[in-house]
Amino acid sequence: MKEKAIRKILIANRGEIALRILRTVKELGKGAVVVYEKPDSEAYYIRLADTAILIGEGPRCDYLDIERIIWAARKSGADAIHPGYGFLAENADFSEACENAGLIFIGPPPGVIRDLGNKVVARRIAAQAGIDTIPGTGDLPRGEDGVAAALKFGLEHGYPIMLKASSGGGGRGIRKVVSEKDLLVQLPLARQETLSAFNDENIYVEKCVESPRHVEIQILADRHGRIMHLGSRDCSIQRRHQKLLEIAPANLPADVLEAMYAAAIAAARQAGYVNAGTVEFLVDAHSHAFWFMEMNTRLQVEHTVTEELTGVDIVREQIRIAEGQVLDIPRERIHLMGKAVQVRINAEDPKNNFMPEGGKQVEVYQSPGGPGVRLDGVVYQGYRVPTEYDSLMVKMTIRGYNWEQTIQRLKRALQGFLIVGPATTVPFYLAICDEPDFQAECFDTGYLDTHQDIFLYPEQEREVAKLAKLIAEIHARKVNPFAY
Amino acid sequence: MTRQTQDKDMRITPQDLRRRGVREILDKIRRADGYYVTNTERDLSQSDFKNRIMPHTQLLVAPQRNDAGFFSLEITGGASVHVDMLRKQMSPLEKLEVLSANMPDTLFQTLCRGVNLFGYRPYPDNVIRLTVRSFARWVHVWRVFDFLNHIPNMVSVFEEVREAGAILEPSICFSTGPEHTDAYYVRKVGEILEVTGEDILLCIKNHGGLGTPRRIGALVGAIRERYPELVIHYHGHNTDGADLGRIVAAVKNGAKIIDASDHALTGFYGPPPLLTAVDILRDEGHEAVGLNRQAVIDASNLLRGEREHYRDFESQFLGFDPTAQIHKLPGGATGSSFEQAVKGGFLHRMPHILQRELPLVHTELGNWWSVTPGSQILWTTAVNNVLKGARYRDANDDLKNLMLGRYGDFPFHRPADSIYEAVFGKDWKTILERDGGYQRIEDIDIAVERKVLEHRIGRPATDDELVLYLQHPNDAVNFFKFEAKYGKTWVLSPDIWFRKGGYGLGDKFEIPDAFGRLHAIEIGPQRRTKTGDAVTYLVIDHHPEQILTEMEAEGAQVKKKVTFTPREIEALAKTGDIRSQIIGTVSEVPVAEGEEVSAGQVLIVLEAMKMLNNVVAGISGRVAEILVAPGDRVEVGDPLLLVRSE
Repeated sequence: MKEKAIRKILIANRGEIALRILRTVKELGKGAVVVYEKPDSEAYYIRLADTAILIGEGPRCDYLDIERIIWAARKSGADAIHPGYGFLAENADFSEACENAGLIFIGPPPGVIRDLGNKVVARRIAAQAGIDTIPGTGDLPRGEDGVAAALKFGLEHGYPIMLKASSGGGGRGIRKVVSEKDLLVQLPLARQETLSAFNDENIYVEKCVESPRHVEIQILADRHGRIMHLGSRDCSIQRRHQKLLEIAPANLPADVLEAMYAAAIAAARQAGYVNAGTVEFLVDAHSHAFWFMEMNTRLQVEHTVTEELTGVDIVREQIRIAEGQVLDIPRERIHLMGKAVQVRINAEDPKNNFMPEGGKQVEVYQSPGGPGVRLDGVVYQGYRVPTEYDSLMVKMTIRGYNWEQTIQRLKRALQGFLIVGPATTVPFYLAICDEPDFQAECFDTGYLDTHQDIFLYPEQEREVAKLAKLIAEIHARKVNPFAY
Repeated sequence: MTRQTQDKDMRITPQDLRRRGVREILDKIRRADGYYVTNTERDLSQSDFKNRIMPHTQLLVAPQRNDAGFFSLEITGGASVHVDMLRKQMSPLEKLEVLSANMPDTLFQTLCRGVNLFGYRPYPDNVIRLTVRSFARWVHVWRVFDFLNHIPNMVSVFEEVREAGAILEPSICFSTGPEHTDAYYVRKVGEILEVTGEDILLCIKNHGGLGTPRRIGALVGAIRERYPELVIHYHGHNTDGADLGRIVAAVKNGAKIIDASDHALTGFYGPPPLLTAVDILRDEGHEAVGLNRQAVIDASNLLRGEREHYRDFESQFLGFDPTAQIHKLPGGATGSSFEQAVKGGFLHRMPHILQRELPLVHTELGNWWSVTPGSQILWTTAVNNVLKGARYRDANDDLKNLMLGRYGDFPFHRPADSIYEAVFGKDWKTILERDGGYQRIEDIDIAVERKVLEHRIGRPATDDELVLYLQHPNDAVNFFKFEAKYGKTWVLSPDIWFRKGGYGLGDKFEIPDAFGRLHAIEIGPQRRTKTGDAVTYLVIDHHPEQILTEMEAEGAQVKKKVTFTPREIEALAKTGDIRSQIIGTVSEVPVAEGEEVSAGQVLIVLEAMKMLNNVVAGISGRVAEILVAPGDRVEVGDPLLLVRSE
């Protein structure tokens, strides 16, 4: 296959990931095109692009509109498209449409996305590669037959079981079912949810491994059959199956990690994988047995921890692979020592079930810096937390020599944030930093459920803001009404 | 032994008091070859600065004052407890805590109005005891008085001060006139000693700065003659300019402690300059024990620069007032009486009020002591008598209670029948018969008061907050709300706190916060919003921020956006008022109006962040009304549906 240099890349995404990709595109000296829906008119990333194209009124429909995106690429003269994560990132039709339009899709070919995007097919591929998978059904038939099949599975394998959207990803479209009665309630809800979220109502049932660890392997694969891994990530700390905090590498014995690397590469090879991808495993917290869960055919939100640990710019490699270049990073240049951790600073109130603070204005924004601190963010003083999109403001990735230094640094950096306006996850992460099990690097996916005390953190009070309020009032009224 | 080390030895400190106890400390004072000095800052602040000397200033001179070797620093009590909350926006208890941390070697003194504590009317006994216990954590010397010298009004405070291991200083309020003889006062001292025993300081409380030096000397002498071991603390005001003479006479006749204050702050109605008294007395052969003269000078050197910030609170009328001997107003009330006269537009009648009517009223009502709350009764009555042109008409409740004997016995004589008739009408005898007599205030249920307080501030209250609330409920609650909004503002300098006309654009200053951090503030531009509110741009710690100040426009409706907390929404759900907990879109309404629903049943499905969330019924009942339809966007707190339980 011959190499074809990319000149101009359209980033078919928004928010922090658009900015993340844009930064590497600029480093490579290529043209950067971004698209945006109307509610994103004030977004930070569009200021930094060479070209920004309004693709519609939105919200969350034009970013999903394949024709509009292809149109924007044609209009801007882009010759490649990076889909980021979410939206069209794992949409095989989009990858195919790009190919048909003569555009390079920076990601796997349509067939691979299609195979791995279907959880049932993906599990079959993993099995063919000789990797253990968690017992589960195929797509449930619609109607009563589906209910019966799910009930039968529950009877065979025992509860709890998981209901999963076949097209799901990113933690969405997953429901835990604890009993037959619960199953009857949740099945219709899950169907409806998966239909509205993924435009595909197929769901399947899987055995639930209680409080496992969620560990994933980052891989890169070129068009020349070379596949390499970039180490592991532990994403166990989640709420409602949404990752909150990711760590690289996972705290597992070397032989377990080596086995997982081999499994991940085998799965990728079996699938004919090209570009960057992630193989997700469930790991028994005690026995360290692991099962293939799924393979994500996109750049992940938490790719930053791998980048900070290994020193590899994954987006850069994605573009090089898409250009047909050979994956030629020497193994010895992949640094897997130390620790990196990513936290998502969201405009959410953790004490109120992580309710997004949509519509609120960020009155003050100050961010930390210094050694080992990386910020991927779109927030600024005056930023309005969108009600139309997600509430992620900035991702902070911390790099440290070892776990102890990393969490000390994480705490120090978190204390360097000053965000006034919306409630944020900052004090929540600070509470985690002080939690002994976390400090001992000991957690599984049940972490938040078993450590509810974390939510008892005190509200952050900022004394100087109060004093300033009075000074402003004395200034505005020309006299201190509380003193005379 | 050098004089220096002897002086150091003779100093009395809180550690000393804790270690050796009250009796030994009193012995030490008796044995001392000389006298001690109390710095009456609180009284100076109250008399000459309307109680406004700020903690910032007190902290500024704390090291010097701590080194000065005062017997005590009078720093709380009187009206200051109220003003601390009302106008300084500081907890009077926190003030003591902060100052004591910065002045660890100095005894703190208070002025307590007996049954009236730090207020104007009698408090329930259990509140009195709780309050004394709370303040006694920081206050070592308790000066206690009653405006009728009615000892039962002071007994509860006496007991609690004793219990706390603090030094008790009962007062005899002093005045002049035919009834105010040495014999009377010596007898009063005897009555006090009967209640308290010998381990007390006795205060001669000359709040009006009355009498000549000779008169005070004679009184001290007379008490000393009868009770030679009694340690006498002379307290006076310099209203007539002669208090230094009275102090000298008191010491020459055996008083062991005097009251005075920093010369840089002395005015006309409060205490006289401390160092002047010390210098005169040295020449008379009396040494101020433990006093570090240079530290006193150093403190005033610092205070001089601060005084300009308090100019607004000094009396509009400067100069000594020898007519205090006629009107007998206490120094603490002189400035405020003139202020009232200006505000009430009767300044031109003040000579008549002060020099004719007030002395007459004072005599007619029994010639007791013009001090809180009696001084307010006398003053208000005299002003009313003059302004209304009819004497003793429309008397206020305080005068009525006094005349009914509720505050205690008249020490010398009851007012004339004609005054009773003017105040109570023709039936005055029946009323006096029926309602007369000493009033004991019933204990209140403090647990209930705490609940009320917590309801008002919407959170648990601390013990200190409860104590403050029990003193002045509304002003305490307002203060707590202020502090929640504006923080601990007592760290601010008077230059910032009392600034008039706003700050200059580009003004930069550093402010500490109460937690020891220093912040940089720069004043930026200001603009008005469409609704007339002010937006001020401040650069706080090098980052610009805009701060909104809501300005209530004349007559404008107060705009109020209703917001609900998750807890409130849950509570409403229990009443059938189902509201959204989230911002989202209505995905489905699986019930219909009129349908029976049971608690826990799904009423509405909301979609947010691509997750479906069930809104379930908090109670069983019938769906009375559905307020949303699929596709509607809802905000937190928006009503969704009403369930009525049958």
